Amino acid sequence: MDTNAAPIIEAKGLTKHFRRPVKEPGLKGAVRHLFRPAYADVVAVEGVNLSILPGESVAYVGPNGAGKSTTVKLLTGILVPTSGRVTVNGLTPFENRVENARRIGVVFGQRTQLWWDIPVGESFRLLGDIYELPDETYRASFGELIDVLDLEPLLRVPARQLSLGQRMRCDLAASLLHRPPILYLDEPTIGLDVSVKARFREFIRYMHRERGLTVMLTSHDLGDIEELCDRMVMIDNGRIVYDGALSEVTTRFGWERAVHLTLTEPDESALEAASRALGNRPGAVATQPEPTMVAVTFDSRETTAGELIRDLATALAVTDIRIEEPTAESIIRRLYEGDLVFEQAE
Amino acid sequence: MTTLFNILITFIWVFILYALWDAAFSETGAIAGYSWDEMRTYILLAYGINALVGWRVASQMMGTIRTGEITRELTRPLNYRSTQLAAAAGMSVVEGLISLVLILVLGTLLFDVQPPDSPVAAALFAVALLAGFVIKALCIFLISLLCFWTLNSVGLMWAQQAVISVLSGTLIPLAMMPGALRVVAEVLPLRGIVSTPLQIYLGKAQGWDLAGLLALQFGWLAVLWFFSDWAWRKAFNAVEIQGG
Repeated sequence: MDTNAAPIIEAKGLTKHFRRPVKEPGLKGAVRHLFRPAYADVVAVEGVNLSILPGESVAYVGPNGAGKSTTVKLLTGILVPTSGRVTVNGLTPFENRVENARRIGVVFGQRTQLWWDIPVGESFRLLGDIYELPDETYRASFGELIDVLDLEPLLRVPARQLSLGQRMRCDLAASLLHRPPILYLDEPTIGLDVSVKARFREFIRYMHRERGLTVMLTSHDLGDIEELCDRMVMIDNGRIVYDGALSEVTTRFGWERAVHLTLTEPDESALEAASRALGNRPGAVATQPEPTMVAVTFDSRETTAGELIRDLATALAVTDIRIEEPTAESIIRRLYEGDLVFEQAE
Repeated sequence: MTTLFNILITFIWVFILYALWDAAFSETGAIAGYSWDEMRTYILLAYGINALVGWRVASQMMGTIRTGEITRELTRPLNYRSTQLAAAAGMSVVEGLISLVLILVLGTLLFDVQPPDSPVAAALFAVALLAGFVIKALCIFLISLLCFWTLNSVGLMWAQQAVISVLSGTLIPLAMMPGALRVVAEVLPLRGIVSTPLQIYLGKAQGWDLAGLLALQFGWLAVLWFFSDWAWRKAFNAVEIQGG
């Protein structure tokens, strides 16, 4: 990666609002809407700044409805932003949708780009025509993809008869046939089994490392992110809340920890005793998931594990203590569940 | 399969209308300048022509908009309108060829269809037919764009079918329409789809009338061409793509 290079994807203050009709339920609401339509302004993406260098691989994560897909649609030029600027390959995607489409590949995990009723091989040939690939380029590109993705046996099969894993391989080939410098993957591994997933990741890694493909991936699968991406951008409620390495998310937001205590015997009053012992510790909360277990979550900026253990060990009969370190996964999960609020990234 | 059903339905309509008009003409020799010979020809050809850009072109386009499938079409380096017109042409070639054979067979065996008025009329008929095809495809394109706002396609489909089949002159020739409707139908572009080609075919328009008809048709074609381009841009800017 050349850090001096100009970004291949750049967004500044990218914002998209939707107008959504507000209808009251039932016939009465429908009739009222007909005469006096009411709309709510829905913020899908708000002030997103993003700068991706050629050859980077970026994971774009966030809970459902956070604005991931909208961002991808804005970057691929099929949505027009409400405000802000986007540049991809030096073009403004929505103004040059057709030109932009030549230089990007897109895989939507939930939608195939193959023609449903015709053999896969024919779909590829059609795509070759659509992208106006010269014969030689087409043959070289096609040959390589067939080889790497092992598509030879599938070429005569119509898309509707493919399994999900086979379809994903074909879709990958279809999106890279015209050799775009950028590949957008929108939840590509949804529904794939473990071995297909592994092959998928291997292929993307190969294209990324060997071919310098710039990859932007939205996924809920932490494995995808860990294995494929050097960088993670997290979006919540339409705003970017984190932009950095996956491993660093723990140092930045991992101040929430937990101490798990195993009791000598089932104790109904343990929770009360623990709470009393913790009375003066800010941010420490005790729960009793099992009769013989007490868990205490605390804020490591306010208190230390040592202090907590000292308090608890005198109040309870404890046989074992385990301190839980935060992992990227637990932090992301808690963000998704909405019980961890990230401060806005700078 | 769909193709065959479409053609079958077209012919059921033709037979119903044939029976109706047969009864009407048993009393009189000519209605609004149409003889029974001409009317038979008109019914059969009108339905054949109007079936060319069928139900499927609109339902496919509306479907992609409603479900967000349009995403796939938009991530390709293709002009959206051209893609839709090409799809319409593709379906019409298949349905059109089958219809043509059926019309020729049925026409000569059952309906005793009249040949074109003259070789010139035949040639101009072909030109007008082609222009009419593009006009209809563009109209359907424009109506389908409304789907971006309504997100409902059933109502649009029915409305579109009904309006086109009346105002194009498929149901009855423009000359037989009552006063106000006739004026409207004669000015609007939809007559270019069925009425204009058939008036030329039957030799109902000659000389300056003929030139005027073609001028109106091509004028509308140009207007629709630019308007549909503008409308697509507008739709693209204004609305959202459905589905996550």
